[in-house]
Amino acid sequence: MTFSPESRPRFAPAELIRQPAFTALLALVLVFVLGLLFSGDGAFYKWGTHRDALRQASVYGILACGMTVVIISAGIDLSVGSVLALVAVCFSLFGIHWQWPAYAAIPLCLLIGAACGVVSGGLAARFGIQPFVVTLAMMVFARGLAKTVSGGMKVSTAIRTADGDYSYVEVPDIFRAIDSRLLDGNLSVVSLIFLVCVVLSWLCLARLRWGRYLYAIGGNEPAARLSGVPVAAMKMLAYGLCGLFAAVAGICQAAQEQQGDPEAGVGYELNAIAIVVIGGTSLMGGRGGIGLTLLGTLIIGYIEKILSINAVPEASRLMLTGAIIVAAVLVQRRKA
Amino acid sequence: MPPTVSNRSTCLMTIVAAVALIAAALSVTHADQSANRPQAKPPASQPPPARSYTIGMSQCNLGEPWRVQMNAEIKKAAEAHPNLKVVFKDAQNDTLKQRAHVEEFVSAKVDLIIISPKEAAPLTEPVAKAVAAGIPVIVLDRRVLGDQFTCFIGADNKLIGREAGKWIVKKLGGKGKVVELKGLMTSTPGQDRHTGFREGIKGSQIEIIFEADMKWLEPDARKEMESALARFDHIDLVYAHNDPGAHGAWLAAKAAGREKKIMFVGIDALPHEGVMYVKKGVLDATFEYPSGGREAIETALKILAGEKVPKEITLGSRLFTRENVDQGGEPLGPPAADERKPEPGAEPPPKSE
Repeated sequence: MTFSPESRPRFAPAELIRQPAFTALLALVLVFVLGLLFSGDGAFYKWGTHRDALRQASVYGILACGMTVVIISAGIDLSVGSVLALVAVCFSLFGIHWQWPAYAAIPLCLLIGAACGVVSGGLAARFGIQPFVVTLAMMVFARGLAKTVSGGMKVSTAIRTADGDYSYVEVPDIFRAIDSRLLDGNLSVVSLIFLVCVVLSWLCLARLRWGRYLYAIGGNEPAARLSGVPVAAMKMLAYGLCGLFAAVAGICQAAQEQQGDPEAGVGYELNAIAIVVIGGTSLMGGRGGIGLTLLGTLIIGYIEKILSINAVPEASRLMLTGAIIVAAVLVQRRKA
Repeated sequence: MPPTVSNRSTCLMTIVAAVALIAAALSVTHADQSANRPQAKPPASQPPPARSYTIGMSQCNLGEPWRVQMNAEIKKAAEAHPNLKVVFKDAQNDTLKQRAHVEEFVSAKVDLIIISPKEAAPLTEPVAKAVAAGIPVIVLDRRVLGDQFTCFIGADNKLIGREAGKWIVKKLGGKGKVVELKGLMTSTPGQDRHTGFREGIKGSQIEIIFEADMKWLEPDARKEMESALARFDHIDLVYAHNDPGAHGAWLAAKAAGREKKIMFVGIDALPHEGVMYVKKGVLDATFEYPSGGREAIETALKILAGEKVPKEITLGSRLFTRENVDQGGEPLGPPAADERKPEPGAEPPPKSE
């Protein structure tokens, strides 16, 4: 049964509990209570901890926004981590080494990310190749491209000169601006970028015709095609958007590291998928929304933060995170 | 639907095209490799001087910039000797691939193999087989088990950790609150830099108030440092197992406005990374983790000339601080290769304990 974004949830208690947003919110509240109990010597009560939890989840959250769009169309995009690295490398090359102004570097980087996505979507749509396989291939290809462009080393403020020595440049202003804070130090710019991405994806999914088409394709592709939905074009749009968001994430990553690391983003696609799933969007497609992804980002972000301030050893962290993901998905399970 | 004539011929064309592509790829790679192989192969025991040698270099991965640096150093050292050709193979952090690479070198009958293994146990046998086939093997940075290899060249992470601990004790005057950001603790360098550090600070009043595994990654180090800053109002120094980790911690402290009150120590000292951070005033100190690329080629030349080399060569480290970074740092531990003058057949230099 497809979930139309137009239908308004009725506010009877029984209906309310069955909304996926409710279970995600409940999970978030439970995680919050966990944080209050295990506050790490009072660190959880400081505003800085929450601001930082949002900051560290933002890059994953931006990836998850694009991933939501793709998953709703019953696809998947495994290449987002590699595209993030490619764009991080390119942005650092343009901004640090070639000293391009921001209004030139950023649009080109966004274009690179979107192009990777459109290629994946095009191959999946026109040739009928499984999205899993196409984006897996793009994941490997983009990683190789990132390493080629960067020469295997991080693109940093140390530039190699012809005689093998290094000259040092300053970190460009745009990097500092993205890695700074607003509102008297209470909100990171990266978090703001994430929230803007959430709003943009919400507009696309819930308010534009395209969004409705994507839900239709995810719910029942043959029916959508027969109804006149331009399936191939929509798929290319969805993956292009995912690539675009991966590019935004890459720019944020480069700014926060003050360098372009071709090895960045390894495994980030799994985090993004986990966030989307924990939020409550179905991997089968046709159901879900960006609000759920926002909740999923906060849940994952807070879990990581609580484990971090309590200095939980790495092995326990991995096991706990895995268990919590399974628990969250079990809670989300819908009975037919 | 039974296969029609057009379906079958499309199928056939696809198969022919695929086979042609594979054949083309193989012939290009073959031509590339045979250009690197020397034409004559006299026995290695009595080589005439100025002969052309082929060295096979098996690197476990080129994902770590430090290994990219290692390969670059080997290439640069080999370029100074026109009679040396080095064939580089990258195992992309896959043990089975690296085994295959060693076996490929053996069947190609290279004159010497340099290997930086991903793991000790699975690579021990291929290396032993290479030695048994008459090819000397230099093991770089990570060990294999047993003694079936010609020479091991590596730095001592425990020594570096201990020196870092001692420097920190001296700098803090014997007491202080320290945050330790650890590298991947399932890897030997992480474990050694950790135990060495703890040995170095033993007996002092240095207190480790927070430790976390940041897996050598800068974003992870930043996250952990943010948690430490939220939890502790007073931190004196951050000891990170690598320079990117220390830099991530510094960025977190800078965002909190506390970077001037905390000292930062890292390890690796790559010229475009750790040394730059010290020059820019980000790090207070970094310890060089030498890759040994230059020493590998020097030792290889000695072996190929028929000289005896020590079984183990331990590389020294250098300390870079704000005071000495412009002079190129100061050496620590066992003397660096260019200061050492081993005679053939002499006893190996004293190992750092």
